[in-house]
Amino acid sequence: MSYNLNEAIEEKKKKRLGWKSVKSLVGHMVEEKNTLLVAFIAMVVTAILNLIGPIIIGNTVDKYIATSQYKGIIHNGIVLLVAYIIALFAGYLQTRLMGSVGQRMLYTLRNSVFQKLQDLPYDFFNQNKSGDLISRINNDTDKINQFFSQSLMQFLRIILIMIGSGIFIVSIQWELGLAALSPAVLIWLFTRFVSPRVKKYNAESLKQVGLLSSEVQESLNNFKVVVAFNRRDYFRKRFNQVNRENYTAAVKAGVANNIFLPVYTLFSNFGLLIVLALGIYFISIGEFTVGLLISFIAYVNSFYNPLRQLASLWANFQVALAAWDRIRKILELENNLTVVPSKEIDETATLLSFRDVSFSYPNGNEVLHQITFNLKKGKTYAFVGPTGGGKTTTASLVSRLYDPTQGKVLLDGKDIRSFSEEERTRRIGFILQDPFLFGGTIRENILYGNAEYGDLSDEELMQIFHDSGLESLLQRFEKGLDTKVDASGDGISLGQKQLIAFMRAVLRKPDLLILDEATANIDTVTEKLLDEILQKLPESTTKVIIAHRLNTIENADVIYFVNTGKVTRAGSLKEAVDMLMKGKMAS
Amino acid sequence: MFKLLKPYKGMIILLILFAVVSNAANLVIPRIIAHGIDAYSAGNYVFKTILIEFLIVAGVIFLFAMLQTVVQTYASEKVGLDFRKRLSDKISRQSYAFIQDANPSKLLTNLTSDMDSVKMFVSVGVSSIVSSIFMIIGTSVFLVVINWKLAIPVLFLIPSVGISFYFVLKKVRVLFLRSREVIDWLNRVINESILGSAIIRVINSQQVEYRKFLNASAEARDLGISIVTLFATLIPLITFFGNLATLTILMLGGHFVISGQLSLGDFAAFNSYVVILIFPIIVIGFISNLIAQASASYQRIEGVLKAEETADTGTQDQPLKGNIELKNITVVYDDKPALKDVSFKIEPGTRTAVIGPTAAGKTQLLYLLTGLIRPKEGEVLFDGINLNEYKKESFHNQIGIVFQDSVMFNMSLLENISFSEAVTEESLNRAIETAGLSEFIHTLSKGLDTVVSERGTSLSGGQKQRIMLARALALNPKILLLDDFTARVDQQTEQKILKNVQKNYPELTLISVTQKISPVKDFDQIILLMEGEVIASGKHDALRTSSPEYVQIYESQKSTSHYEL
Repeated sequence: MSYNLNEAIEEKKKKRLGWKSVKSLVGHMVEEKNTLLVAFIAMVVTAILNLIGPIIIGNTVDKYIATSQYKGIIHNGIVLLVAYIIALFAGYLQTRLMGSVGQRMLYTLRNSVFQKLQDLPYDFFNQNKSGDLISRINNDTDKINQFFSQSLMQFLRIILIMIGSGIFIVSIQWELGLAALSPAVLIWLFTRFVSPRVKKYNAESLKQVGLLSSEVQESLNNFKVVVAFNRRDYFRKRFNQVNRENYTAAVKAGVANNIFLPVYTLFSNFGLLIVLALGIYFISIGEFTVGLLISFIAYVNSFYNPLRQLASLWANFQVALAAWDRIRKILELENNLTVVPSKEIDETATLLSFRDVSFSYPNGNEVLHQITFNLKKGKTYAFVGPTGGGKTTTASLVSRLYDPTQGKVLLDGKDIRSFSEEERTRRIGFILQDPFLFGGTIRENILYGNAEYGDLSDEELMQIFHDSGLESLLQRFEKGLDTKVDASGDGISLGQKQLIAFMRAVLRKPDLLILDEATANIDTVTEKLLDEILQKLPESTTKVIIAHRLNTIENADVIYFVNTGKVTRAGSLKEAVDMLMKGKMAS
Repeated sequence: MFKLLKPYKGMIILLILFAVVSNAANLVIPRIIAHGIDAYSAGNYVFKTILIEFLIVAGVIFLFAMLQTVVQTYASEKVGLDFRKRLSDKISRQSYAFIQDANPSKLLTNLTSDMDSVKMFVSVGVSSIVSSIFMIIGTSVFLVVINWKLAIPVLFLIPSVGISFYFVLKKVRVLFLRSREVIDWLNRVINESILGSAIIRVINSQQVEYRKFLNASAEARDLGISIVTLFATLIPLITFFGNLATLTILMLGGHFVISGQLSLGDFAAFNSYVVILIFPIIVIGFISNLIAQASASYQRIEGVLKAEETADTGTQDQPLKGNIELKNITVVYDDKPALKDVSFKIEPGTRTAVIGPTAAGKTQLLYLLTGLIRPKEGEVLFDGINLNEYKKESFHNQIGIVFQDSVMFNMSLLENISFSEAVTEESLNRAIETAGLSEFIHTLSKGLDTVVSERGTSLSGGQKQRIMLARALALNPKILLLDDFTARVDQQTEQKILKNVQKNYPELTLISVTQKISPVKDFDQIILLMEGEVIASGKHDALRTSSPEYVQIYESQKSTSHYEL
């Protein structure tokens, strides 16, 4: 399955799945229906009160000012003041409630993106650049955030005010009203016509932001190579190129986003012109009054002024839509490594068995060809062979980072795909070739994801460290469990990282423990110590050691020779060495 | 921050001009309408004049607003383009230590979101402030001219809105700062969950990560709600003040109309102007917030730009012979000494091995020799000349280093290997052959043009290691530094490669950090490093008798020695 976000997904599928994620957001809105209802009422009240203003003013002008009745003016003035005060509180309520709903929806969205990220298989992270992913999750959700937190409420308020003003305008004098509103139709047509293009420019611009961010991410994370190989000029050249492309895309998007305002303003002015000309005409034939015209103009303004504000909101909306498309692409992906129920039990199988397993990476190269082997309980196995022979791939299939393209991997005779993630990962431990540390302390890293020991006190923990022989490893860190590490692993050597990863895996006490070159950068004296610790694991533990260094495998019960995608059983260490030699000479 | 705009004076002036003209023209519209109504009331109404005036003004507004849009976008993006270039140039000239210290992910934020704030300032900040002030002054003048007695109470609107903004924004700013931190926190969790995706899946700790994320995410939500609440106070309040102004016009203006001091048309104009007046006041409030955010971002970027540059003061560019000497070197990392008073000499064309336990300072030693880090005390001499006196470019072109961790770029294999301009076709081919990659490359359908994924996940550890070796050898270096090359490559391959190196690069000075003694037994010198100190050095046979630590390491490897070739 392709997890590459920059490749197009089939149109049909896209719509269906996209709708699903929209629905989850809408579903969340349903939960908030009481809040939304109150907010809506507050919004309607605010809008009505704000609209009543011009009516009262018009009324006052015509009835009292024109006839010099101070009493009426004061009366209406008090009514207005009361209305304004109510509007103040209703406005507060509305903004506050809607804003909170917006924030909570964004929270849901952000969480569901992250949750999806956790659901997706390892392959997803290999097919996408981390810079691009980070940009999608940070920058693009932020664009949606800006829309939710700043624009959405205004959007709704404006639309409500516009609808209200529109109704008033038409009901005061419908001929004049319709004429005044006619430019809005043109605005609508223009918006409909232009928006898809604007969205496209924004999508391109966001994509360029992603590319720029991957470029920076890659160069800065590998800066030592840039320095040591004199490639500073090259970094500059590559950066300048993405920078320039970013600029071009941003200018296009910027101009497109800003085109709405001048056009909206122009049409609103036409609206005013129509009102003025037609209004005076109606007055001249006695169907209208000056006072009404004044309040009419106020209404037309309260229709077109928000419309102009809508122009910039609309641009925000287009940006948010483009960002949503990019995020949606993540949300639409499905994990292809789901649990497949199966009751079938292969009686001939052992703890772990491969049955005619073949595997190809998504680029199509088959790296494992019809592999069959059995791993028995409590034995130690060694997988040796030249680099690129398929050792790590085999281990990745055992821990189900991938599923085989053909054949089956069996755990206790049952298809490994039928086990829940929890059970499978509890039983199979895997120390990866490239250790990764999370920011925090060594304690947090060693107990990472360890439900059993997670809550133990320091004393209890030290006892366990003592019993399992890990104590002496821990002593190699200046502040023991409290030594701080960060994710970039700066200031800690690769060998030390491997020690931490080793402790992390051993404390989980898996049934099957795979060590993939797990001690490659650790000195041989310490390595002996690690061997002793492995011996202390329960007797039933099956160990798989992947290595090219022979000393690490001399205690193995069975040695498998892995080369060119095939796994062959070697009788003894001597035979394995011979095969290794022959393999070398043949290759 | 305003000095940033200096080179773009022309564009900024144009931008302000366009903004002012289009906004000023906006002010004329209510005037025309009032004029029309009054003219009608007075009985000298000519539709054609009004129409022409109106169309001209509307046309001017449209044209200038359009021009403003275009100039504003170009100006801000141009500032962004140039500023990003300046920053990246600066970064590209910095030392490795600086980048590690400044933290790549912070620099990424500098180049992306901080730049966005600055761009925002240029695109809307400058022109909005100028045109808003202009609008406020213009509108106020109009109001005063029409009727100063009515204008003064109405203009009380400005300070009251200003004061409310001041108080609310003061509180909001604190929250904004905090939310910036929360966003950093969110990013950190996201980054770790991407970079650690494999181990998370092996341990099935997705829920752990999700919970971490939820904490940060919930805090971001709560902060967002707090900010919204503050704005929820602000916006209705401003509307309320605007409404009060309208009320004043109605009551006081009504009085003036009745007493004949104000025409009905002017009364209408007053109403329209108040609406126009509120808008720029709100804009200034929001823009002042934007400027505050932009100047914070600007300061962060400026901090990087002002950082002391490790200028290349070196003048020496003669070819290296391979004579290396370390004199009393001390390297400090995080206040802990990584290397303590280290001294040794290496003769040209010889082979030296550095061995020692994990975290002994071996890698630091190699970084020191490539100039990636600098000693706190002591000197690194090449052919008797201090490393700092060499021109960096010619120096780096003569030293090849193979790092311990595989560093692959998302480029073709060819670009990954010939990673320097000094590489020629001949040196490339020799490097590929020496690193034992020819066959592997032949098996690829696209050969050298095969694109390597970002983390090189399509390659095995050993393949990556050999690509890195080829990258170093392609420079045709005088000195080759290997950092734990054996760790990822099996011994036979290693032996073969080392032999190839000796054959194809006979004059090379080799320094190899390694765990295994047997492949380096016949090296000219073996340096034993422990906890940052040189414990012993010499040839294998000498060390076997003189250094108990060496013997211990050797013994730990001995059991397999009869399998060695």
